[in-house]
Amino acid sequence: MQSPDFSQTYFELFGLSPVFAIDVARLRAAQQGLQATYHPDKYVNADERDKRLSVQIASWVNQAYEILQDPVKRSRYLLEINGTEIPDDSTTTSDSEFLMEQIDLREQVDACRHGDDALLRCDQVEAKLKARAAELAAEFVSRFDARELETALQTSRKMQFIQRIQQQLSELQYELEEY
Amino acid sequence: MALLQISEPGESTAPHQHRFSAGIDLGTTNSLVGMVRSGEAVCLADSQGRSLLPSIVHFASAEILTGYEAQALQISDPLNTVSSIKRMMGRGRQDVGQPDDVICYDFVSSETSKVPRIRTRRGDLSAVEISSAILKALALRATQSVGGVLDGVVITVPAYFDDAQRQATRDAAKLAGLNLFRLLNEPTAAAVAYGLDQDSDGLIAVYDLGGGTFDISILRLNKGVFEVLATGGDSALGGDDMDRAVAGWIMQQGGFSDIDNSLARMIMLAAREAKENLTDSDSSEISIDYQQSSWRGNIDRDQLDKLISPLVKRSITACRRALRDAGVDKADIAEVVMVGGSTRVALVKTMVGEYFEREPMCDLDPDEVVALGAAIQADILAGNKPDSDMLLLDVLPLSLGIETMGGLSEKIIDRNTAIPVARAQEFTTFKDGQTAMSIHVVQGERELVSDCRSLARFELRGFPPMTAGAARIRVTYQVDADGLMSVTAEETGSGVAAEIVVKPSYGLSDREIESMLRASMDHAREDIELRMLKEQQVEARRVIEAINAALAQDGQMLLSDSEIAEIEHHRSNLEAAIESATSEELKQLIRAIEDASESYVAKRMNASVTQALTGKKIDEVDV
Repeated sequence: MQSPDFSQTYFELFGLSPVFAIDVARLRAAQQGLQATYHPDKYVNADERDKRLSVQIASWVNQAYEILQDPVKRSRYLLEINGTEIPDDSTTTSDSEFLMEQIDLREQVDACRHGDDALLRCDQVEAKLKARAAELAAEFVSRFDARELETALQTSRKMQFIQRIQQQLSELQYELEEY
Repeated sequence: MALLQISEPGESTAPHQHRFSAGIDLGTTNSLVGMVRSGEAVCLADSQGRSLLPSIVHFASAEILTGYEAQALQISDPLNTVSSIKRMMGRGRQDVGQPDDVICYDFVSSETSKVPRIRTRRGDLSAVEISSAILKALALRATQSVGGVLDGVVITVPAYFDDAQRQATRDAAKLAGLNLFRLLNEPTAAAVAYGLDQDSDGLIAVYDLGGGTFDISILRLNKGVFEVLATGGDSALGGDDMDRAVAGWIMQQGGFSDIDNSLARMIMLAAREAKENLTDSDSSEISIDYQQSSWRGNIDRDQLDKLISPLVKRSITACRRALRDAGVDKADIAEVVMVGGSTRVALVKTMVGEYFEREPMCDLDPDEVVALGAAIQADILAGNKPDSDMLLLDVLPLSLGIETMGGLSEKIIDRNTAIPVARAQEFTTFKDGQTAMSIHVVQGERELVSDCRSLARFELRGFPPMTAGAARIRVTYQVDADGLMSVTAEETGSGVAAEIVVKPSYGLSDREIESMLRASMDHAREDIELRMLKEQQVEARRVIEAINAALAQDGQMLLSDSEIAEIEHHRSNLEAAIESATSEELKQLIRAIEDASESYVAKRMNASVTQALTGKKIDEVDV
């Protein structure tokens, strides 16, 4: 089996330009092409070495795909390959305005918990969060294009916060559906 | 002899190169085996034309029966007849048998194994061993049908199955002596069976309500590639629960109390029959006759719907969830595929149709559809269709995490991550000279480890002693294409790989598997000989005991000293040989003792008749 070059970037692996705004359909098509070559199902009758190798390569391709298809992970990865050091998740934001916004959004999510129209209100908050995420993504692109990598990292962190709140909301939606 | 070979395009033209493969649907209630014959997937039937093999195993003293033969003995011998064993795969004792369960087996707990075992007259057996009996029966059907050896099989599992359940299924295949190409998710198999890979691209929902499990999967199809976007469901929801609901109603209506195992089985069977009748008619008669209890009644469609609608609703909630997980809208679903015998129930079809707002696909036999898909996939994996561009990409059904301080689970790999996948984590030591550490891996979505399913404890040993915090231990969790996890670890500074000891929480240990393999049908001849020997030993002991008892009672009275001596001589010979002789030798020794005591037996019979008649008037004698 011909092993791919493990040192190439995920963008190179999928034949994409190293930018934030990628063509998701192309990414998906490229991922499927790679899996069609390396997936363990293609090596059912191969020797042990090739079997093992195919699991490793397919895992690597999946890992790469997962990072590129998620906007937050993609933004961080993009900064990383451009030489920005990514601090630990535990780092907190010092942007007090954004802190206030976060608290406000969390409160809005919590407020959905009660009342008859809980699920409906969840939908409203969901739409608001989606719009905010799109705004931040646009902000990230302009900062990254201007090579302001440090401020781009700040934006990436904000994107991550919004994503977490989105996850909390989706967990709440689960709970509400269960009754 | 075939003078002319006609092949489908894309198929091998050299028949001797064709590899035989089969797809097996190992179900909770029924199991099936399918094969691709002449380019078409078919389910293989038994000599009576039945493709279903009830997933029931009966343990008789001389042989193991499966399917309908086993089913026939369910009522007369419930403790040695095991059904719905799939629910126990990869499960601990505390997981099996809800309080409302009406059927109990004789469970045995053992100190040497984590796996619950059922006591039967063939020994204490694990779910893996019982499932392997079903797999063997199906594989035999396949090999007899083609008259050749199977190159490999694909076995389907519910998409919702966790690591332990998948591992148990893989172990059962190993024990049955089968080469497992791959475990395949049942819903994916169903979509393959419908040939949706040849259709236009789009989103597919597979609604699979079987006997014991419910699965909903959202698949995306793109140029022959099936991608599982999300799976959800309930591993304890199925037709059995509907039967149980109806059985509960029957018990209530009939006022049954004092329900033993046999009556419980009878009511369950009656409940299932009534449910099935209501698929085509509006009402069904029920009659129960068992010893002193009997009841005759009637159930109509409305009553059935009332009893089962909470169960169907539970399945719809899971559908809603799966759509959200997949990040897709209900309106984007192009097809809804119905799988599993329980989708024949009218209420299920109606409620699923209403929820998805489209007519669900149910042209193929819902019982056969999974096995057919598995057969197609097995044929491709065997290499019989080199041009096929079909590819099935799966996701991890439940998140994997490790236990951290305070009994919390830290997620390492999230649910619905595409597999195979690997994740690495770095640890350090917290004591000087520490050379070992333990990692507890759990599977599930909850925060607390106690709410998740414990998979295994990995003990990493043998890394070089260093000062606290200096060692860098990189632990890699690898999940393969079947969704099964393995762990490797090394100290990155020195490059020393850790030695890993796996302690599965519910699965069988490698040693147990090995010893079961050794004891299995691979040694069928020894097995049979051993069984015959055991039987002869039991018989020999019985004969010796009978002789001793008889001699003590009336030997002196009825026999001369030389006659006694001769019988005792044969008895001693038999006694001495019990542990060492073969079954054939024992048989001869038993015959010898029987021959020697023939006249004694006749004398005893005469004497006992005389004794019984002595002092009794003729009308007191039982004739």
